[in-house]
Amino acid sequence: MIAETESVKGENKLKFGLFLGCNIPFNRPDVEQAMRKIFPALGVEIDDLKGQSCCPTWGTMPSIDIVAWCAVAARNLCLGEEKGIDLMTACNSCYGSLNEARHKMLTNPEIHKSVNEILAKIGKKYEGKSKCRHVAWVLYKDVGLEKIKESIKYTLDDITIAVQPGCHFLWPSNVYPDKEEDPFNPKVLRELCEALGAEAPYYSKLVDCCGMGALRSTDPEKSFTLVKEKLECIKDELDADMIVTTCSSCLIQLDDAQERLRKEGKLNFSIPVLHYVQLLALCMGFDPGQVAGISVTPRDEIINRIIKG
Amino acid sequence: MIEPEEGVPTVLNLSEIAEREKEEEEKVVEIVREFGAENLIYCMQCGSCAAVCPLARVGFEWYNKKLIKALLLGLKEELLDDPTPWACVACNRCTEVCPRLVSPFEVMFAVRRMMVEEFAIPTLAIEGLRALYEYGHAVYMTGREARKKVGLPEKPPSTDSDEQALKDLKTILKNTKLAELGLIPMND
Ligand code: SF4
Ligand code: SF4
Repeated sequence: MIAETESVKGENKLKFGLFLGCNIPFNRPDVEQAMRKIFPALGVEIDDLKGQSCCPTWGTMPSIDIVAWCAVAARNLCLGEEKGIDLMTACNSCYGSLNEARHKMLTNPEIHKSVNEILAKIGKKYEGKSKCRHVAWVLYKDVGLEKIKESIKYTLDDITIAVQPGCHFLWPSNVYPDKEEDPFNPKVLRELCEALGAEAPYYSKLVDCCGMGALRSTDPEKSFTLVKEKLECIKDELDADMIVTTCSSCLIQLDDAQERLRKEGKLNFSIPVLHYVQLLALCMGFDPGQVAGISVTPRDEIINRIIKG
Repeated sequence: MIEPEEGVPTVLNLSEIAEREKEEEEKVVEIVREFGAENLIYCMQCGSCAAVCPLARVGFEWYNKKLIKALLLGLKEELLDDPTPWACVACNRCTEVCPRLVSPFEVMFAVRRMMVEEFAIPTLAIEGLRALYEYGHAVYMTGREARKKVGLPEKPPSTDSDEQALKDLKTILKNTKLAELGLIPMND
């Protein structure tokens, strides 16, 4: 078990460093904009974490060397630690990489020492205090479902959502600051969606992999097999109105691969995909063009349904 | 030896492998243990990790359980050409369920690290490393229309808009194994 540090709550105010990663600011900046809108409105202060970099993602430093992985992660974590705040992210890969690196440093003094020797060259030191929180957990635990319910302008009546928490929201549960009671039957995202008035039932492939990331870059065919099975399950078992995820990679995969499968004649339906922060931003009444303006699979219909009631 | 009939997939030839030098066997296990897979020797081949692995599900050759068996048998050359470790999504379903605390994910990544030393690294991984060094972002795009469209400043508040931070990151990278390997130019 690793030491837990309390999130900083100066003057009853929640404050986090907004860790962006790569996919969100460059590929899906509407997710970034959604976070910049919802958190201040919910009383959560955001620090820009100026100078942040890639987490580092799995195909880079983690594939080269453990100390190198931890050193890049530690520089990012330092940016929060220097200000006495935790980081928060809407990308599961960042959540996984940063927390796994932190876990390695806190459980292996040799790694921690080597990392700090490298950090000393840029005048930094990582104490192990700051960690990275997931935005969904911040919304669930720190903001709370009641406050979310109070903050929304539109409710999702008669809307069925298929949830996709994504791998690094769940496993390995021992490295994360927040844990589901049963990581193979996750409830947090379902409850977050239900707080908006939607139905978010269990389906048999709820925890299955979307096939993104390394799998897709190594073998797109195999990746599309996985995502197709998942989408068909969502259609057959739930006939969902939309898919809602807490991971930027799942968002891109489920949205983008769907269109490719349709073009190849392998899929004959379309289900819009949103990140949870986007859905919340829409329900709170923010401009759809800014908070949910980028997608491959069309979203207009569902957005209109949400806004017009 | 009985030859498999046509259409029957080949399996590991255990009797042939067992004849390999004991020395070689220990060598590869020690290499991957050095690279972070310390606990692989505790594997009892129960298959729990394979049951939850997306790679095993879609038919990659050397998924977690089988890779561990191969390493314990001393195989190395056979693994170097195979893309499986590079397809691992690092999901850690396997780590969660392993009753022997092996962390098969760490084995996958230890094999990646071993492959990197032998320069058996996919082009895409090299590109990611280059972008990480150049911009501080492994996924990087020069086009900023999307950011402008949603009302955000062209550059995020990252190394992309902070020269000193990018310099710091480069200093860090130059002091890691990445520099020793010489996979990407790191002169500036
Ligand atoms: S779950 Fe653990 S013990 Fe079982 S086969 Fe996989 S690595 Fe070995
Ligand atoms: S971490 Fe890799 S080996 Fe383990 S279950 Fe996921 S894809 Fe399979």
